[in-house]
Amino acid sequence: MPAPKQGELLKGSAKKKDVRSSNIESAKAVADAVRTSLGPRGMDKMIAAPNGDVIITNDGATILQRMTVTQPAAKMLVELSKSQDVVAGDGTTSVVVVCGALLKKCQDLLDRGVHPTIVSDAFNMAAQKACEVLEQVSVSVDLDDRASLVRAATTSLSSKVVSQYSSLLSPMAVDCVLRVMDPARPNMLDLRDIKVLPKSGGTVDDSELIDGLVFDQKAAKAAGGPIKVEKAKIALIQFCISPPKTDLENNVIISDYSQMDRVYKEERNYTLGLVKKIKASGCNVLLIQKSILRDATTELSLHYLAKAKIMVVRDIERDDIEFISKTLNCLPIAHVNHFKPEKLGTADLVEEVEVGKGRVVKITGIANKGKTATVLLRGSNKLVLGEAERSLHDALCVIRCLVNKRFLIAGGASSEMEINLALSNWAKSLGGMESICVRAFAEALEVVPYTLAENAGLNPIQGTITNMLEENVVQPMLVTSSAVTLATECVRMILKIDDIVPVR
Amino acid sequence: MMMGQPSGVLAQGVQEERGEDARLSAFVGAVAIAELVKTTLGPKGMDKILQSMSRGQEVTVTNDGATILKSVYIDNPAAKVLVGKVFMEVRLKGLVLVTNDGATILKSVHQQSSCQGFRGFREASDCARKVLEECSFNNAQDTTRFHQDLMNIAMTTLSSKILTGDKAHFARLAVDAILRLKGSGNLEAIHIIKKAGGTLRESYLDEGYILDKKIGVGQPKRIENARILVANTAMDTDKVKIYGARVRTDSMAKVAEIEAAEKEKMREKCMKIINHNINCFIDRQLIYNFPEEIFADHGVMAIEHADFEGIENLALVLGGEISSTFDGQDAKLGHCKLIEEIMIGEDRLIHFSGVALGEACTIVLRGASSHILEEAERSLHDALCVLQATVRDSRVIYGGGWPEIRMAKAVDELAARTPGKKSLAMSAYARALRALPATICDNAGLDSAELVANLRAAHAADPNSRMGVDAVCGEAGDMAQLGIYEAFRVKSQVLASATEAAEMILRVDEIIKAAPRRRQ
Repeated sequence: MPAPKQGELLKGSAKKKDVRSSNIESAKAVADAVRTSLGPRGMDKMIAAPNGDVIITNDGATILQRMTVTQPAAKMLVELSKSQDVVAGDGTTSVVVVCGALLKKCQDLLDRGVHPTIVSDAFNMAAQKACEVLEQVSVSVDLDDRASLVRAATTSLSSKVVSQYSSLLSPMAVDCVLRVMDPARPNMLDLRDIKVLPKSGGTVDDSELIDGLVFDQKAAKAAGGPIKVEKAKIALIQFCISPPKTDLENNVIISDYSQMDRVYKEERNYTLGLVKKIKASGCNVLLIQKSILRDATTELSLHYLAKAKIMVVRDIERDDIEFISKTLNCLPIAHVNHFKPEKLGTADLVEEVEVGKGRVVKITGIANKGKTATVLLRGSNKLVLGEAERSLHDALCVIRCLVNKRFLIAGGASSEMEINLALSNWAKSLGGMESICVRAFAEALEVVPYTLAENAGLNPIQGTITNMLEENVVQPMLVTSSAVTLATECVRMILKIDDIVPVR
Repeated sequence: MMMGQPSGVLAQGVQEERGEDARLSAFVGAVAIAELVKTTLGPKGMDKILQSMSRGQEVTVTNDGATILKSVYIDNPAAKVLVGKVFMEVRLKGLVLVTNDGATILKSVHQQSSCQGFRGFREASDCARKVLEECSFNNAQDTTRFHQDLMNIAMTTLSSKILTGDKAHFARLAVDAILRLKGSGNLEAIHIIKKAGGTLRESYLDEGYILDKKIGVGQPKRIENARILVANTAMDTDKVKIYGARVRTDSMAKVAEIEAAEKEKMREKCMKIINHNINCFIDRQLIYNFPEEIFADHGVMAIEHADFEGIENLALVLGGEISSTFDGQDAKLGHCKLIEEIMIGEDRLIHFSGVALGEACTIVLRGASSHILEEAERSLHDALCVLQATVRDSRVIYGGGWPEIRMAKAVDELAARTPGKKSLAMSAYARALRALPATICDNAGLDSAELVANLRAAHAADPNSRMGVDAVCGEAGDMAQLGIYEAFRVKSQVLASATEAAEMILRVDEIIKAAPRRRQ
């Protein structure tokens, strides 16, 4: 070991050392908790909430979020996983595992007396070099090459419970993203344009990508309204078809019972007037936004609407309005007098169908459909559904990564080994403590293939090695590069902390 | 410590500390505070985790002295004084220095508590101040060199913070932002947005204004040559805001009429707004569906729920005024060249470019976690404040303990010439000054005694020496070459505050703690 230069030795007080060690220990504990979920043979975790709800998941970010973590350094790891989710969507488990391994190496270095800032700076350099290495080994991918995109999605799904359905889900994910993407503005890919509707019943095999729109709400059949409309003209309304209600509190004072009759008649006329106006616009399907202030419809209004052969779907959430108006190419209407033909959407068929034990409303054949996609996800029970939804989300994020940075690298931890080799070589050219730190960084990355093999029950030292590209195990470069950089940033922050102060 | 109370002078439960005890307790408190923040000083300084004991158990990670001191529980009254003094200087950096210097001055002087001591103190501080002024230099005339000075100062400020890994990048960011202000010193024009995801290096400076809000449904997502009306008015319902107001009618039809009237009122309001010939409307409060649709029909982009501070900033940046009524045509509109929706990470935001107030800019911070982002914001804010101070008073000095050693040398020389007890106070002051470079060395793991002695010798040998502590290499280095600079104004303010605080505490010779309020 080369003689340390002045200033590279840490002469800390006992208190400082303790705080730093305890931070590193707790962060390592968190990392170890999720280690066993990594890879295709990784196991899932079952998380029981205090109110009895149970979730089964393999997704690192979800596990960490549900774990109630109190130690502050460990909390930073939870945030780290969330960040990875935002940037890349997948690799949330890997990032925590890498961070844990880096911290373990830090502990060794600190025990040997290296000053934390030296470690921190060296890690920074190592992370940058690692990204360069990744760029060198990556393969560029064209968005028209559907096969590679499907392969990437399959790799991401391979570690999840729904991996056996990946032949169905991967192409679905790829199609979704391609549909939503606007080629003129590739960086504006918003995953909120993809709606995933989980419905229990059936198996995951029954999931389908709908060429249209699906609502979880049922048609209002109480008054015998239609549940199937062809050549539909759809209006998305934000007002209520019910007796008038002012914003100010109002009272109707009646002095004798003959006036009661008049009140009823007026209510009827008012509602009838509304329905007539709606009918006059040519609309035959009504989507009504949920309102907290008053009833969206009353029995009377439903009766009239049914007579007018207008199909009604109620309780549309305010957040969905933008999605719906984009898909149907219609505009929301806030007042009955605002009905204009251009505000209506057109579709070939709107019908209520039975899906599993429930019913949904399906709209297909939409004219001028906006760039959105809807997936109807099925599963045998709530737990499977939940995990399937999360996995699909991860797969979608993976494809989005590829849209952002069109490079793939071989998966199965081969890229981590590549970085390991390159960094070890480079470390030889550096001097002093830096070289030791960079080598430690490289060794830390070995944890990924080690864990993958461990989880598969193979002997991690020997194990079987295959050519990953041939096996079609690929992942987007962005996932790994962001995992490395984010983990390094987190580690640097933890290293800089030497005291915990309780405050107000 | 209870002293024997003369009967009936002080109430039950009052505690008194006199003389030596008082002074000791004051000194202990101040030193404890200084020790707390000492380790954050310098490029090898560390951060602290502040763990909130209250609900929420929030965690903050920081290097910034002000943040740490603001949140800590303090019991000792002298410590409270020190913290209080610190807060009057909140705008400037160097709080750690204040507490440190204050405490060390106390430490070395607590024996000399006579008025001779105080006078000696004051003279020492005057001498130090003069030396500081003499050794500062001013490059305001030469813009390139001034720019370089600003960059160096920014990098020195950031070197002890988490941004140190990318400090060149952030220093440039801060300097660009400040130079855009063109000396107006209005830090409000710099808007900082934090978005999780990405790394610190992906942070950037945007020349327009970015608002973290969404555009209404069905409205244009891109407008050129925008005329903007900024307002603070309720666009939800037009209720009479008197509790219990209600309407009484005798038939349903009348209720319908009233409802129609309400809607008509809202429509009129919207039309009045639109008649100002605008194409963008920004409201601080919510805009409900009905007015939203009316705006969409007229091709006006409506943005709702811009928060309170956001609104004032926005009005300032766009050059408009916040209106609440729309009857006349005299509302002052804001202008900008282009409004469009952009995406950062997973979120959509609204970007205003070519704004009326050319000085405005937005810094978008990206980072791995919210803790990192918050600390980055604090550090950037520090850097901006220091740069602003420098723009106003462009004198700069070298950093790394260099001014302290020079001042200490001058004070020592003065002490040697002064007869009487005053000189003891002065040499104590000089020792205190030298404690600063010593702390930087300690934090870096260097042998502080050796290094400070080396510096002292270097300065004695060559009065124009530029040697200071180079914490990165671990030895004395040339500050000009290393580019370690500080703003003169900050340093002189620190010196003055520290001396005042120390003096204030030293004059205390009795502490009386009031009796705790008795619970009935």
